[in-house]
Amino acid sequence: MPYLREQELLSPVANYTKRKGYTLQAFELPFYDYRIDLYGFSTKASKTVAVELKLRKWKRAVEQARIYQLCSDFVYIALPTSAVTQIDEEALRKSGIGLIAVCKNGCRTLVEAKRSIEVREHYRGPYISMLSGGGNGRG
Amino acid sequence: MAEVDAQIILRMGSHSEKEYVEKLIHLFDGVSIGANLVEATPGATASLLVKISGKKKQIPFYFDPMTYAYGSYIDPQTGKVRNDLDWIKSDQKKKGQTVRDFKRSYRKLADTLGPPFDTALSRKSAITPEDFATPDVLRKACQSIANYQLARLRDEFANDPEYAEFADLVPAPQVVFAPYFYIEPSQDDDWLNLTLRMAAETAHLGLGSPTHMVLCAPDHYLANGKFLRALASEIPKTGVEGVWLWFSRFDEYTAEAGELKALRRLVEDLSKSVKVFNMHGSFFSLALSKFGLSGISHGVGYGEQKDVVPVIGQSTPTVRYYLPTLRRRLSVPEIELCFRRLGIKSPKDFYTSICDCAICKGVITKDLAQFAEFGERHFSTPRSKRLAQTPAAAKRCRFHFLLNRNLERSWVRQADINDILERLRSAAERWKLTTLSSQAQRLLIWESVLR
Repeated sequence: MPYLREQELLSPVANYTKRKGYTLQAFELPFYDYRIDLYGFSTKASKTVAVELKLRKWKRAVEQARIYQLCSDFVYIALPTSAVTQIDEEALRKSGIGLIAVCKNGCRTLVEAKRSIEVREHYRGPYISMLSGGGNGRG
Repeated sequence: MAEVDAQIILRMGSHSEKEYVEKLIHLFDGVSIGANLVEATPGATASLLVKISGKKKQIPFYFDPMTYAYGSYIDPQTGKVRNDLDWIKSDQKKKGQTVRDFKRSYRKLADTLGPPFDTALSRKSAITPEDFATPDVLRKACQSIANYQLARLRDEFANDPEYAEFADLVPAPQVVFAPYFYIEPSQDDDWLNLTLRMAAETAHLGLGSPTHMVLCAPDHYLANGKFLRALASEIPKTGVEGVWLWFSRFDEYTAEAGELKALRRLVEDLSKSVKVFNMHGSFFSLALSKFGLSGISHGVGYGEQKDVVPVIGQSTPTVRYYLPTLRRRLSVPEIELCFRRLGIKSPKDFYTSICDCAICKGVITKDLAQFAEFGERHFSTPRSKRLAQTPAAAKRCRFHFLLNRNLERSWVRQADINDILERLRSAAERWKLTTLSSQAQRLLIWESVLR
């Protein structure tokens, strides 16, 4: 059965990233005009991850992912396995964005994300604080 | 090619924009106000105009009669022609029930203008070209709309015992606009013919003020050679002194080179005999002053392109930061993502490479991170689920934009076309390695059209 909604990708990706250490997670985290589908923090490794979920439009996902490189150490796009064949993996590698393929049996990292050289502490810091229980950003 | 000193007319969309107009109008060449705003707040509008356009400051003002609002339009959702005037209606609470009725400002305007505007509201269907079938109706409508522009605000003071003695201080508009309607494609010949007849009729009323007309057509008509040739040959015959072009939804940032070239050609043709303005233009149109365009108009934070059908039911859009080098508005993170590639590491670098206006220098004082203040967000109410730009951030963006637009106009006036082309090329070159490379490439399209 193909995925019909982006939302269906969330649970497998959330579980997958949790297993990778990003145990503190927020969904639909606002970042300017965007909403980051999944933002996670690994307390052990003190690193953050942002994931943009898409069913098909991978170029749009990359555009958003680039923006998220401002607020997260590692950024991935996640698409159903059936959709990843069309993706230009070389372009992803160049921009440091990772790729996660999602299927019914779980997730697999096809391209590892590089640590973002664009990350800004003034964005990253408050998110970590929020995930660690320091507030939800609602003043 | 007739070079013109480009003018910028600021369009005030609501009284919430008064602060920008009052503080910065001295930097611009005029202010324009729609008749619907006047009818919504006649006293406040008259007072503002006495302040900025009265004998002391004498900033020219333009009074848009907004007659197109009573015509037919294309529903953006369905693509079908609508004649039900729904776009000038709103949901209103009456006797505990919600009813959809005409907005008070448009009803008052129609009542003041008389036939066929008031009759259109009575019958609840849009004005059609057939409503002006007889010369008598046409003449009376043109006279009424001219009188409205010349006297409405003065009468507001004259009819108020407290302000009557100041009625003569209310300034007259710079020009009188002929009535105009959207050239709806299914009846385009009829609408164009009517627009031209109304322009000619108004020009020959002997008003003692220059007559201008507005040409309001769909954006794709810039690809309609027959239509453009008709404009170039027929508008000069009307006797108007100026024409304001409004190609609905025409966006100079995304337009094809062919459409931009068509606009340039139209400006060149028309400016041989009349003043030509772009009613909603960007930097590209400012540069068209080198080919005869007399000026542009836009809002204080938006309005470099406009659809005749107002956007309804959407949340307040974010006022984005105007990036002077790329001549367009972009989100804060989109710009921030380019800093490293451009070697921007400090506020000083920012002033050199991005902007050194008073607003930017006031916001970014110690740390580049302060640039985020242009996009600052909050939950606007305790119930809000989405973050929205703070009013302070929106204000910063608007003031920064207006200061830059003023600088652009001054620079364009003293530059020659080669300077403008070179500036576009060098900006495209510098930004091509950033994540905004596609936006930078747009400058080369402008450059090719202006060459």
